[in-house]
Amino acid sequence: MTEKTIPTEDQVLARVREELVAIKVPGAETAELGTQWAELDVDSLDLVELVKALEDEYGIQIHDDELKPIKGVGDAVALTIRLAEAQKA
Amino acid sequence: MTDVVITGRGVVTSLGEGADPFFDALLDRRSGLVDGVGPCSDFDPEVAMTPKEARRADRFGQLAVAAAEQAWREAAPEGLDPERGGVVVGTGVGGLDTMERNTLAFLQEGERAVSPMFVPMMMPNAAAGLIAMRHGLQGPGWSIASACATGNHAIGEAKRMIERGEADLVVAGGTEAALTGVCLAAFKRMGATSRVGISRPFDAQRDGFVMGEGAAILVLESAEHAKARGAKVYGRVAGYGASNDAFHITMPHEDGRGAIKAMTLALRDAGAQPGDVGYVNAHGTSTPFNDKIETQAIKDVFGGNGGAPPVSSTKSAIGHLLGAAGAVEAVISLCAIDRGLLPPTLNLEEPDPECDLDYVPDGPREAPGLNAVLSNSFGFGGQNATLVLTGA
Repeated sequence: MTEKTIPTEDQVLARVREELVAIKVPGAETAELGTQWAELDVDSLDLVELVKALEDEYGIQIHDDELKPIKGVGDAVALTIRLAEAQKA
Repeated sequence: MTDVVITGRGVVTSLGEGADPFFDALLDRRSGLVDGVGPCSDFDPEVAMTPKEARRADRFGQLAVAAAEQAWREAAPEGLDPERGGVVVGTGVGGLDTMERNTLAFLQEGERAVSPMFVPMMMPNAAAGLIAMRHGLQGPGWSIASACATGNHAIGEAKRMIERGEADLVVAGGTEAALTGVCLAAFKRMGATSRVGISRPFDAQRDGFVMGEGAAILVLESAEHAKARGAKVYGRVAGYGASNDAFHITMPHEDGRGAIKAMTLALRDAGAQPGDVGYVNAHGTSTPFNDKIETQAIKDVFGGNGGAPPVSSTKSAIGHLLGAAGAVEAVISLCAIDRGLLPPTLNLEEPDPECDLDYVPDGPREAPGLNAVLSNSFGFGGQNATLVLTGA
């Protein structure tokens, strides 16, 4: 996605789920905004793949320092939307 | 000296999974070779691993975990002190498929296309690491890479680890998944693989090996540890000998000096005489050089044709599994002792005057009372390892 539209929360949540399913994370299909990485057994290597998927999808760049406070699905969705908004502005 | 016994066996090859069904297939003279390769076509990595675990492992790691699972179940070492459990599992070439895919992605799309799992999937010690994680083995753990001698080196070094008192139990063996485009092309370019895709060790028309894939893993224990927990014993790793040809990076020394040394050292380690050995599972690659030189070396060690026991090459049925070959052949050797049956050398139709031992071409053959097998593995780099396996 190269055009700078702001994705909705539902859209990003769906994309996060889709990527986590693609990398075979158990329980990814039913992950919600409140789901923490620890519940899904998502580790730093999974996050590298998720970050690339979100960057490619929404034309954003997620830096390592922005990733540290991201503890779960809701954090990732919020960060993605914030970066997409910043990009548009 | 600490006696080292085998309490678990696991194997995955193109002829199926599980030590006994695999050995039955060899006795049935079945071949797992198709179109010049020996793939494990029916192997499903998600039987032994979760989908996520399987995705995060190269095929050589998947094969090893599956074989280790079989061996672990057979051994059932409940109550093992985790810090007294080790792992020595090697591979000839490691995660080549992962290497090729990521290299291509990098060249075509750049850095971001490289998987964060590239290194942990490709690294040769990945299989040993995965097995240690799965079974909670916190003692010594590492990988061996000595090309086609890897499996025997791994089992031999595991024996040494137990003898040194560093572990009570060691999961050991070899694994290989090198049926990739680059690897097949490379062996073809060297002239090492058969142009016609037929593995016919010791035959006059042999023209190279056929590559297979697979893994074999054994659970080794000190006899004392196995006895204390009442474990079933499948055999003993009685002797291990290792040597270098120090001659050429791919060709064996023409006098077979490294092979002779490895066999001699293994017999000495076992406290055995050549006459104690009832069967030799040969390296027997089906290359012109190996089979001729190995034949000469066996005759040298065993005192000529009259002294040499029957010899066969099971690579005729499953191809050459490189770093897994020695471990697979250790499983075969144990089964041969257990059943009193020698597996055949397939496709041996035209005798070669320079290969004039008894290669069991018409096998399987009954070998009642068989109690000691010598199994050879010789690797590129000139590295050789021989095991002497004996009955329970």
